[in-house]
Amino acid sequence: MTGTTGSPTGSVTTRDLTKSFGGVRAIDGASVAFHEGEINALIGPNGSGKTTFFNCVTGMIRPDSGTVTYQGRDVTGLPPHRIARSGIGRSFQLCRIFPRLTVLENMLVAVQPHGLLQRLRGSRNPADVGRARELLARVGIDHLEHAEARDISYGQQKLLELAGVLMGDPRTIMLDEPAGGVNPALVDRIADLVRELNAEGRTFIIVEHNMELVMGLSDHVVVFDRGRPIAQGAPAVVQDDPLVLEAYLGV
Amino acid sequence: MPNGSSNVRTSRPTAVRAARTVALLALVALIVLFPSLAPDPFILSVGVVILSYAVLATSWNLVGGFTGYISLGHAAYSGLGGYATALLILRTGMDPWLALIAGGLIVAVIAVPVGIASLRVRGASFVIASIALVLIVQLVFQSWHTFTGGSNGLRVPRPFGTEVLRPEQHERFFYLHAVLLALALLTWWLIERSRLGAGLKAIREDEDKAQALGVPTFAYKLTALVVSAFFTALGGGLYALWFGYLDPIFQFSILIGSYMVLMSLLGGVRSLFGPLLGAVVVGYAVEVFKSQYGDTQLHLVATGVLLGLVVLFMPDGVIPALTSALNRRRGAASIREVSAEELANQREETAR
Ligand SMILES: Nc1ncnc2c1ncn2[C@@H]1O[C@H](COP(=O)(O)OP(=O)(O)OP(=O)(O)O)[C@@H](O)[C@H]1O
Ligand SMILES: [Mg+2]
Repeated sequence: MTGTTGSPTGSVTTRDLTKSFGGVRAIDGASVAFHEGEINALIGPNGSGKTTFFNCVTGMIRPDSGTVTYQGRDVTGLPPHRIARSGIGRSFQLCRIFPRLTVLENMLVAVQPHGLLQRLRGSRNPADVGRARELLARVGIDHLEHAEARDISYGQQKLLELAGVLMGDPRTIMLDEPAGGVNPALVDRIADLVRELNAEGRTFIIVEHNMELVMGLSDHVVVFDRGRPIAQGAPAVVQDDPLVLEAYLGV
Repeated sequence: MPNGSSNVRTSRPTAVRAARTVALLALVALIVLFPSLAPDPFILSVGVVILSYAVLATSWNLVGGFTGYISLGHAAYSGLGGYATALLILRTGMDPWLALIAGGLIVAVIAVPVGIASLRVRGASFVIASIALVLIVQLVFQSWHTFTGGSNGLRVPRPFGTEVLRPEQHERFFYLHAVLLALALLTWWLIERSRLGAGLKAIREDEDKAQALGVPTFAYKLTALVVSAFFTALGGGLYALWFGYLDPIFQFSILIGSYMVLMSLLGGVRSLFGPLLGAVVVGYAVEVFKSQYGDTQLHLVATGVLLGLVVLFMPDGVIPALTSALNRRRGAASIREVSAEELANQREETAR
């Protein structure tokens, strides 16, 4: 199950990644390799730099130094839309959707056309709408397609965000706390979805504080503390690592 | 339209669509008939002014409404359109209509570097950059006497001969403005339905999120700005051909830009006809005000108060406010809350 760390054509791989905010080193020389085709988890105490790491990988913020490679290609410093188009989709810690667009319109934003003519094509064409509806049905909110996204519940918004990410057909999906703030039944639902999508060949990198979920779901766990990995491996191994216990207990 | 499952718009009741068609036809009829209904040339000229405002506001909305980038300096593009048209006619002897279109294209090209510089900043910073633009252009056109005529202004040659009398002039320009307005509206409508439009609206809602989904946000914003500048310049050029005189102080004023913003916000930036409605209301009010009280600064105060009221009480504009009020009265379907268990059950059923 566990792939070789740092394989040249691995999924997301970083080398000496660093990002400071003023005096705070949010990411401190992090070298991490995530496994292609697996469900990877990225865990760590609050403020350990997980979200900042996501932002550096997806181009939302530019790292101070270090490199990010994806499937062997250097993607460091590329703008977010280029990274999205290279096959990495992501969700945000505080669920982000387009509030005053309908659920269906939210989905259609994520279509990635190529060339001018394709971009001028009608957004509500049968092919795109059909695929959007399929994905909405898959996450279970297809009955809400005409509702404005701001009017649906938080859990439904989380599902919409996930469906929107899927609309871009990413090979790798990075989720920042998918189970944060949603009810337990929905957590199970999201976990099932992740397993299904992974079985279809999609790689996941998931930041999550819900340890039960992390341990039950993931193949490979990376633990962050103060902006760098302190442990990685199978869930059972990481769970008993003294460094990890120390980081979480804040000793 | 067929009632196929792939057709999204079928959810809209046919009655609403019929009402919209009727309203559209009524609007077209009103515009076509207006010159013959107008009691005197003055009213007809007010009609031309209002249509001109409508063209400018609709053009402004191509960037403001889609992307949410509020430009207070759009008079830079209308003014440049006017000057480009006039100078092409005067300096190169170009046919006036060709000059109008060439002027629009020149301004569209100018909008590219302007956009590259100013669309990097958001919110208040963009507003300030847009104001800076119009002030800079005003200064250049005021001081560059030899080329622009400076503060003495510039006389624009009339495209129609002297044998065409005033009322006839007004009528022709009324229809010309109507055609330009129709083109701007058509462009807005086409973009609104396109994938480009989906991306632009996403930028308005959450730019970073849109980019994370793969929308090339910068290229999209720039496209919207260039198209907007093109139509705004055509509006400015056509007005210049009608009015026959250009003065940098009036052409490049923040007031004109503010009118475009006010009209669009008042009518509703997210609806096709919002800026047109706003232009009719504000344009009419401004003209009445001017004829009643003369060209005092009072209408500035009135404009400011109106803008404040709109932003405070109808941030989405009149058309969306009315639509949602109507929907509420009809008891439009409220959003059903569905628990995760229900969803799981539903899914199991569909899976079977
Ligand atoms: N935009 C920013 N400006 C300044 N400091 C920031 C910024 N973003 C993050 N930080 C700081 O960087 C550190 C890492 O934050 P980050 O959000 O990446 O942690 P996290 O692991 O995602 O935490 P959590 O589990 O609470 O989401 C924190 O000390 C945080 O205060
Ligand atoms: Mg975080």
